[in-house]
Amino acid sequence: MIRAAAAAPLLALAASLPVAADPGGDPLAWLQRATASARQSTYAGVVMHMQGERTTTSRITHIFKEGSEHERIEALDGPRREVVRRDNQMQCYYPDAKTIRVDKRVTARFFPSIVEGPVESIAENYRLALGKVERVLGQECQWIHLDPKDALRYAQRLCAELGSGLLLRAKTLGPRQQVLEQYTFTELRVGRDVSRGELKSTFLPQSRDWRRDVQRVEEQGPGSTGWAVTAPPAGFRLVGEMQRTLPNRPQPVTHLVLSDGFAAVSVFVEPMSSPPRTSEATSEDGSLSVFVRPMGEHLVTVLGEVPPAAAQQVGRSVGRQAGAAR
Amino acid sequence: MTQELSSLMDGELEAREAERAIRSCCGNEELKRKWQSYHLIGEAMRGECAMPGASTRRIMEAIASEPTVLAPKRPLSTTAGRIAFAAAASMATVAVVGWIGMQDRGAPAGPSVAKSAPAAAPVVASNVVPLQNVNDYVVVHRQMPTADFYRPVANQAAGGR
Repeated sequence: MIRAAAAAPLLALAASLPVAADPGGDPLAWLQRATASARQSTYAGVVMHMQGERTTTSRITHIFKEGSEHERIEALDGPRREVVRRDNQMQCYYPDAKTIRVDKRVTARFFPSIVEGPVESIAENYRLALGKVERVLGQECQWIHLDPKDALRYAQRLCAELGSGLLLRAKTLGPRQQVLEQYTFTELRVGRDVSRGELKSTFLPQSRDWRRDVQRVEEQGPGSTGWAVTAPPAGFRLVGEMQRTLPNRPQPVTHLVLSDGFAAVSVFVEPMSSPPRTSEATSEDGSLSVFVRPMGEHLVTVLGEVPPAAAQQVGRSVGRQAGAAR
Repeated sequence: MTQELSSLMDGELEAREAERAIRSCCGNEELKRKWQSYHLIGEAMRGECAMPGASTRRIMEAIASEPTVLAPKRPLSTTAGRIAFAAAASMATVAVVGWIGMQDRGAPAGPSVAKSAPAAAPVVASNVVPLQNVNDYVVVHRQMPTADFYRPVANQAAGGR
């Protein structure tokens, strides 16, 4: 009965999708379907993002064509800027600075494409369950619950539209079930209502003589930077290791990325010209925790969508890899 | 006071504190507005805003006018220092990226926090991590740089022409 009520506008989406058949009562299948739907379907709408107490809105257009994702995200609050993405290649337009930044997606989260890791590793670190079916944005929506198996990650609540599996809303909950971060569509069009023209940056005509800032990333294999996280929280694995050149830093910064399948943690190790004056420091806002720790002639900064204790554990176990030159 | 208001809203204050917070709230226009905006934020968080347009703007305005120099709500470890933010302009830019500054109000923490946390006045901490340092990394982690991130680059470009 509930299924039959799945709203008409998304039926087109469901029909056009190579999504798995009815995932039934299996939350893992629902997660897989949400991942596939976010990637392989065509949709456009407005997404509201709440982190801590701050709210931002952006317009998103997503088209899947010839095996690739094409996406444009336009910030609707504050200074104008846009991200045009093709799979993991991103071009970010900054009209204020007349700059186009070219970067590769590593840790960026673009709702509704927020389930990144293999769903199997998510199942190792979270207890999965199906919640209520609720009406969200005029659609019947299945809540999927991800409850952490330890205190080193946050609970997630994902709401997938019944017909297509597309996520319409996602919440990150703190230890008292309080909402720390939330994404929600506030407007959504799907399928043929979305035209390819909407993917073009609105800055395309004027951006021809803009500076192109190609983000220099030297992606190397694990262990290549000489730094390692020796005792990360259970379930967190190294998914990226690179040297980044940042505009405001004289020297390249080591960037390690850990993930438990859902939450990502970045570790930055930066050489200090003078000994840092700070002791260890921790802060949190919404779902984001930041931990800073001086380490000899280096400063370690850890940040990610994890509880502060997880950021601290990561930060305190950063060290030189055995055999690396000092 | 802002902190107390936030705690009041979260139901974290005891009767006498709550009474005091309510009294001062109702006698002060600015606090009244804050109280209202906190409810709007709460509604938005609970998904009760049917039409985000006008409300969102008001929320953003309210948030933009909040103090921006902050300390953690609770001691996270015995050795924890503070990550203090001193530049309002940078905060505003950071907010735009979809990231959020470190605010000592709002982000709900342990129930006892409200009583021990400093008021939302600027905090001068002895262990200060420069704002820019942390902001840059947030920008890299979220991969959504702000125009501010490019200012030095943009200036060079202008100078070179």
